[in-house]
Amino acid sequence: MIGVVSYLTFFLTMAGIMAIITLGLNLQWGYTGLFNGGVVAFFGAGAYGTMILGGPAEPGQFGGFGLPYLVALGGGILLAAALAWVVGLLTLRLRHDYLAISTFGVAVALESLARNSQWLTGGARGMRGFPRPFEAVIESNFLFGVVFLLIVLAVLALVWWGIERLVHSPFGRALRAIREDETAARALGKSPARLRLWSLVIGAAIMGAGGGLYVSYTAFVSPQDLLPILTFQIWAMLIVGGAGNNRGAVLGAVLIWGAWTLSGFALTRLVPDSMQLDAGSIQYILIGTLIVSMLLWRPEGLLPERISNTRNTTATKAAPTSNKE
Amino acid sequence: MKRHILGLAGASALAIGLQTGAALAQDCSVNVGTLYPTSVDWGRPIAETALWVGEMINEAGGVDGCDVNMILRDDQNDGRVGVDAARSLVDIDQVQLLIGTVSSGITIPILTSVTAPAGVMQMSCCSSSTRLTEIAASGEARGLWFRTFATADVQAAVAAMLARDAGIESITVVYKNDDWGQDIGRMAAAAFEAVGIEVHASIALNDAQPSYRAEATQALRDQPGALYLALYPTEGISFVREWLGLGGTSVMIGANSLRSDDFRTTVGLANLGDFVGTDTSSPRVPSAEAFVDAYAAHFGSAPSGPGLSNSFDAAAIALLAYHAAGRDATGAEIAAQVPRVTDPDGEAIPATVEGFARAMEVLSEGGSVSYQGATGAVTFDANGNVSAPAVSWVFDDSGMAEQRYISLEEVSGFMASIN
Repeated sequence: MIGVVSYLTFFLTMAGIMAIITLGLNLQWGYTGLFNGGVVAFFGAGAYGTMILGGPAEPGQFGGFGLPYLVALGGGILLAAALAWVVGLLTLRLRHDYLAISTFGVAVALESLARNSQWLTGGARGMRGFPRPFEAVIESNFLFGVVFLLIVLAVLALVWWGIERLVHSPFGRALRAIREDETAARALGKSPARLRLWSLVIGAAIMGAGGGLYVSYTAFVSPQDLLPILTFQIWAMLIVGGAGNNRGAVLGAVLIWGAWTLSGFALTRLVPDSMQLDAGSIQYILIGTLIVSMLLWRPEGLLPERISNTRNTTATKAAPTSNKE
Repeated sequence: MKRHILGLAGASALAIGLQTGAALAQDCSVNVGTLYPTSVDWGRPIAETALWVGEMINEAGGVDGCDVNMILRDDQNDGRVGVDAARSLVDIDQVQLLIGTVSSGITIPILTSVTAPAGVMQMSCCSSSTRLTEIAASGEARGLWFRTFATADVQAAVAAMLARDAGIESITVVYKNDDWGQDIGRMAAAAFEAVGIEVHASIALNDAQPSYRAEATQALRDQPGALYLALYPTEGISFVREWLGLGGTSVMIGANSLRSDDFRTTVGLANLGDFVGTDTSSPRVPSAEAFVDAYAAHFGSAPSGPGLSNSFDAAAIALLAYHAAGRDATGAEIAAQVPRVTDPDGEAIPATVEGFARAMEVLSEGGSVSYQGATGAVTFDANGNVSAPAVSWVFDDSGMAEQRYISLEEVSGFMASIN
């Protein structure tokens, strides 16, 4: 029984990290309409940044400063934000698919950089030995899992609260205005370029926090963690959950991560021994079917966006005309 | 929505219930976690081989009289999925022994965040990263880590030995751009230079490129006397065809990863007359031939992919150690029994059902055995690395043939001389 609880603790930890990243993407895509195809780049910047600042020294390699945990995590977040700022300045004038392709390119370039810069990232061997927070003072492996889950949930709550505050502020309304109609927003005196950049940077910082948390759990990071599959997973989570709705983003993260991992567990139980070898492939088919069916039958997601009533009800009259374009 | 979730929970509870019911029907069973990338083409036969060992052990009487229940999970070659699967094997299936996995980028986070903290023994067939040696040496692995993959340094050194003996004067190193390739490429370049061979360049090949013409052209610029190839068959085929097409030399030394029928038939035997490969297995040992025969009898074709013999030995040694430690053993207790299975002074045991049965008998009586596996009579050092003799091999009409056997002493002596 304790085993099941222990596994659930771990599952929620991973799902929580995924949910944090999905919330970051929700700010960018759900609220601002930025098609970020390089989620994994910002996750990776957070992970490597945290590892370089907080990990142990390694001969012939930059980094290994062994800084306190919060400083290392903060540094990872800053690195992700800084990367987003540079990427944003270069690419934010691009729209939709163009932005998606260029951010995807950034992610691939970052993976290549991590794979080849042996002095900085350890190359393909990755970096190891991150001191996991509180592990030194907690004897029990189970208790460590619980404490780490609490850390992840605390960060998730903080991010949730921050984004909710943000999107219900005038800033958030301006973001949605840009998403719906950039020309109209500009006509109202908003600066789309600046707001889009902010949205990208804040979203990326949140993704970086996800990366930092991940590396502080596994105590290891390698270019294998930077493969595009993560970007795809996070997008699936947001679309299934419901873009533009934080509840949806978190629900989607838990459901998709659950489908991704628990399906493997269930298949070891349900598939006869003779088909065990095919279970992995069956799992892929199940995951794919789930995502495709969601897109077909509920494209707006499980919990679609709810536009809250603005106080000025006359404004809604103007909306249809501006939407037509 | 709620009803659906409840239904799902009910179904999985039922599934778990059925499982327990089945387990109770037998006398006893021992869960062993097996984690390999079964959904990846080269991963599937590796997993298949491990499951086959489980069947053989059961035929020979099982671990301490209990049936081995090999629970196979797919890591999808993705670190997060692999860690989750390992976690579920350790927490829910309560395994004390985890066999897997291939990619070091997945094996390492599993070792550092799942198996070592939980005190579960982990044995991999094919993870090659030198990071794993560091982790074991730092004590982080708590002595729970083993691998049957001979670390890249032996192969790199043997390549240099072959190149020197063949009178090669200059060489270009071409490696797969992953952890294994970077390690072996770097070590091979150092070894070539140590025996006085000029290394023109070390060229990295990234995965899944449609063509390697640019890299082949770059290599051709120096007109090297030979090529050293630390590649997998996929990019190996693609690169070597470009290389030969551009008129590059056919003198090539390859790592054991190219030991594949695919490579032989696609590049063409006619083009591989000057190719020589290195490996760490020792086909001189009858048991290694026995493995090839048994594999062919069981699966209907000779073992030709990378890592199959390593996978066989990883599962066999781990399960025999489990038997020696007893059905209720913890990971640390199983790990402590590994030397009794690989004791060079113990009774020699072939890798067959009869051999396993005999080994279990000896181990139960408190004796020790020398397991003669598919990769020879392996022994492990303090960091869980295997030390093994080496062999050079060539392609021929029937597949691959051993050319020269290099004993453990010869390998160690040569490695000491170049370091």
